[in-house]
Amino acid sequence: MSLAIIQDRSVLKHAQAPSEETIGITPQQPVNNIETESVKAPPLIKLCGIGKSFPGVRALQDVSLSLWPGEVHMIMGENGAGKSTLMKVMCGAYKADEGHFEYQGRKVAVRGAADARRLGVAVIFQEYSLVPYLDVAQNIFLGREPMRRIPGLIDHSRTHREAAALLQRLGSDIDTRAIVENLSVAQHQVIEIAKALSQDAKVLVLDEPTAALSVREAEKLFKLVADLREQGVAMAYISHRMDEVFELGDRVSVMRDGKMVTTLAANQATPDELVSLMVGRKVNMNYSRGERPMPGDVVLEVKDLAGTNGLAQASLQVRSREIVGIAGLVGSGRTELVRTIFGADPATSGTIVIRGEPFKGGPADARRKGLALIPEDRKRQGLALEQTVGDNLVSASLPRHFPSSWFSPSRADRLAKSKIEQLSIAPARPRKSAGKLSGGNQQKIVIGKWLLDDAELFIFDEPTRGIDVGAKEQIFALMDGLVRQGRSVLMISSEMNEIVRVCDRAYVMKDMRIVGEVSHEQLSEGNLVRLAMGGK
Amino acid sequence: MPVLQTSFGFSPRVHELPGCAWALLILLVLFAATASNFLTTGNLLNIASQATLLLLLALPMTFVIMTEGLDLSLGALLSLCTVIFAIVVKSSGSVSAGILACVMIGVLIGALNGSLISMLGIPPFVATLGTMGIATGLALLLSEERELIELGATAQAAWSGIWMGIPLPVWIAAVSYGLFHFLLKHTRFGVSVIALGGNSEALRLAGKRVVPRLTLVYVLAGVYAAIAGVLLAGRINGGNPTAAQGMEFDAIAAVVVGGTHFVKGRGTLFGTLLGVILITVLRNGLNLLGLTASIQVAAIGILVIAALAMESRR
Amino acid sequence: MNNILVIGSPEARTIALRLFALGVIGLIIGSVAEPFTNAGNLLNILRQASLLFLIASGLTIVIIAGGLDLSIGANVSLSACLAATVIQSSGSLLAGAATALASGLAIGAMNALVICVLRVPAFIATYGMLWIVQGIAYWYMSGTIIHGFPSEVRYIGIGFTAGIPIPVYIMLAFLLLGTLFTQRTTWGRQIYAIGANPTAASLSGIPVNHRVALVYVISGAMSGLAALVFLARLNSAEADLGDSLMLQAVAAVLIGGTSLFGGTGTLAGTLLGCLVLTVVLNGMNLLSISASWQPIVTGAIVIASVLFDAIGRRNR
Repeated sequence: MSLAIIQDRSVLKHAQAPSEETIGITPQQPVNNIETESVKAPPLIKLCGIGKSFPGVRALQDVSLSLWPGEVHMIMGENGAGKSTLMKVMCGAYKADEGHFEYQGRKVAVRGAADARRLGVAVIFQEYSLVPYLDVAQNIFLGREPMRRIPGLIDHSRTHREAAALLQRLGSDIDTRAIVENLSVAQHQVIEIAKALSQDAKVLVLDEPTAALSVREAEKLFKLVADLREQGVAMAYISHRMDEVFELGDRVSVMRDGKMVTTLAANQATPDELVSLMVGRKVNMNYSRGERPMPGDVVLEVKDLAGTNGLAQASLQVRSREIVGIAGLVGSGRTELVRTIFGADPATSGTIVIRGEPFKGGPADARRKGLALIPEDRKRQGLALEQTVGDNLVSASLPRHFPSSWFSPSRADRLAKSKIEQLSIAPARPRKSAGKLSGGNQQKIVIGKWLLDDAELFIFDEPTRGIDVGAKEQIFALMDGLVRQGRSVLMISSEMNEIVRVCDRAYVMKDMRIVGEVSHEQLSEGNLVRLAMGGK
Repeated sequence: MPVLQTSFGFSPRVHELPGCAWALLILLVLFAATASNFLTTGNLLNIASQATLLLLLALPMTFVIMTEGLDLSLGALLSLCTVIFAIVVKSSGSVSAGILACVMIGVLIGALNGSLISMLGIPPFVATLGTMGIATGLALLLSEERELIELGATAQAAWSGIWMGIPLPVWIAAVSYGLFHFLLKHTRFGVSVIALGGNSEALRLAGKRVVPRLTLVYVLAGVYAAIAGVLLAGRINGGNPTAAQGMEFDAIAAVVVGGTHFVKGRGTLFGTLLGVILITVLRNGLNLLGLTASIQVAAIGILVIAALAMESRR
Repeated sequence: MNNILVIGSPEARTIALRLFALGVIGLIIGSVAEPFTNAGNLLNILRQASLLFLIASGLTIVIIAGGLDLSIGANVSLSACLAATVIQSSGSLLAGAATALASGLAIGAMNALVICVLRVPAFIATYGMLWIVQGIAYWYMSGTIIHGFPSEVRYIGIGFTAGIPIPVYIMLAFLLLGTLFTQRTTWGRQIYAIGANPTAASLSGIPVNHRVALVYVISGAMSGLAALVFLARLNSAEADLGDSLMLQAVAAVLIGGTSLFGGTGTLAGTLLGCLVLTVVLNGMNLLSISASWQPIVTGAIVIASVLFDAIGRRNR
């Protein structure tokens, strides 16, 4: 296919559903559930009744989504709602368990990434698919470099010419000879889009593309998106930002708990409506905290903290006997915050005070001060999967239990067994390889590791991600037990309802800053979501 | 948007390159001042011929290091090829047969290295450490109880021949430099070499298989070790199982000091050229100053570590 | 956990497999080469293996921590030459031992500096160090050879006590100390954790950089001590003393079941690896197979071991 396929769909106007005159379908009613489909020209791509399950988790259930050419289709939902999974199904990275694809009205099979690519679906990565020390043009045409008549010889001028044409089409003035490593993330994105277009992408999937961009860069991206829309490219755009949704979107689909809740025309929806659609659910009250203990003295005080990892500005306080939540959307800086507090990433300014004493140092020092970090990526950062459960359990507390540096395997065994029992880690064998346990049990090992070290302040980063319901409740009960003993918990979670249920109060982060504190009385999902998205 | 950096033209490391070139300049001045016969024609020709041999190893080593790998077997392979060349030439009388035999061995061992590394994810230094042992042993074995000297005029012609006033080896080196430059800048293979070190995942996503490309990088190294072996055999007029022992270290040093580091596919052939000259000049100058080969080696080692330490600072 | 003694644990299975292999190889060689089973030959094998173990043990600890030390052979050469000089001039075994140890420690500390402070990748750092140290050794000796040491020195290398060669006792001491360190100290357990997953280890509050620096210093020190025993055995010291040792030590460690990726391995396994390698090389000698085959066999063993390890990981 040649590169010059640019359909002129200028008839499609900004923030309007596809109109009847141009494509010949009946106008969309702002219905709440099923799209009316008396179409003459079918959508470019349609996912019908998609279902996808992973062990223990039903990620997608009967999800339908259609995309018309020249449409910016916003996809919204809380973390874990299934947006990314749906996108992965669409681009062939995952194979759906149920449901089917339709391409221009005809049923097609999408068994893998190659099939999806043939349909013209392209996902815009950020770092993945660019080679740092090649230039822009080389990256765009990686593996498909235009050749001269002499076989084996790359036609450099043609490569750059065509790359420049693609970039121009996107309204970008990036020099095709610039080395990718020297360019910004925003520019990487543009290059990725150019790369996709050079492969005749008709459907682009953008997953939170402005997460790492500055305001100005984001605006340039918006313009790009608008241009692409003019050119007839369909875009599935996952976003958490209300301003984006309303500025760019033609239609909005909201997902919740793996289901497609509704699809609305963007100009007929309101922010509040969208929030309540994303969030409305019956709260599962299996676990209730009962009476909260009275908070004690300040254990951790952070003022104006900033770090090399991008953390811009954070101030917070944690008292003993408290469970404090940190809410925010993906990319808002929550992990960066706790890593800076724990000393895993260096701080550039601000202060950390632990129990009245200023703190500076790395994780080893943090540990000595009674801090504990249970990381988000438990497999890669929390555990040594090749080692045994027992080895993992004692790894943080060796200096505490064996102060003479003399290690006793039998004592370590006893210590391990005590935690295995306390936390109901299964299978209850300290010599089992940690990598063989389920997610929930692996998480318990990481928690147990710090319990053995008698930590005072437990920092949990997404403690229940990928964990079944039963184990989740156990972990929450555990947290409650910890604070009743006089310790403290700082908990990051992307599930707002978890924070509301479990925490005493919460801070909300956005764009690498703490933008608000929500007290106990005002703790609600709606409030959290609003703050996280930039409302009031 | 202003041009941030010239594309991967002659050398991307514009700011570091002068560093290496400056060092070379300083060395040249230093030695010219302190060593009596440094600037004589004879000595300079000597440097040129030494550099030629080293360049033939350092050029493919540049590709290898760009893929974040390492080939420790090249010196042993080179020596092995001198032995094989000598044996074949002496027994069959044909120089072409000797060249063919060497190239075949080079391809074989290169392919062995490449497949171990690309297919099984074996760390390059271990795989090539193993093949280094095998090659060393083979060379020793084959040269036992064999007379490996006096290969005849044709064999020596490769080294001592002159065409248009310039020694043949220099021609070979120049052509090879041109070849590698061409491969790197004008072929898809060259692009994939950079991608292999920078982001092999990108290659996979583009549907290009990593295994054959990475293997080819090591095969190229093997072939060039063979060519260098033929030349060296011509020069010493015989085969010697330990002739080039440790030369891979000089090659690695030349590449690293020249500006290619084990970082994400960043590399420069011109830098390697400068590095080769630098290392050769260093050895030559220290030699003239009466410092033994061992001190030369130690000095090069310090240079390598210094170059890498500076790179880590960035 | 002292897993070797636990029946059915992966470590125990590794050891059992190696013992079995050793037995099989021994039987084969014994049946083909007559003098193999001579008491003298067996003691010789034991002595040789012990000498190899002295170096391979330090390397094992480095590899467990996820690192690599290619400079050990050169370390032995230089340390031996320096110690030999001191022994010859002072006649004192103690002074010689101190010199060897100091030299080994210094080299280990340099490695630690370059890798942990300057952040140069271990394989190229120790490779560069190899050439630096070797260069210094060759320059220092300038082709000469120091030989003829007092009997008390030589006793360490060639002497017997209760019918067992002294190096074997030294080997046992290294084995004991090394095993105690890796299995019975917190530092040793932390080193396993670092090798298994350095990120998780760091986030568990383990001072990773500090421990890694330590293992390089330990490796250097052990190589230094080994140098003393080597020069005692050979009754001489020259610059190329340690040239072939690095390859053999790597082979022994890999045969012994230690994975290059770090986090696993035992000293007992390395000892068995030393025995297997020494038996194979000894058998080759007895069968009058040319010495040129030794690097070939060793190299092939290195490749085969890593192959098995890589395939094993893939299947897990």
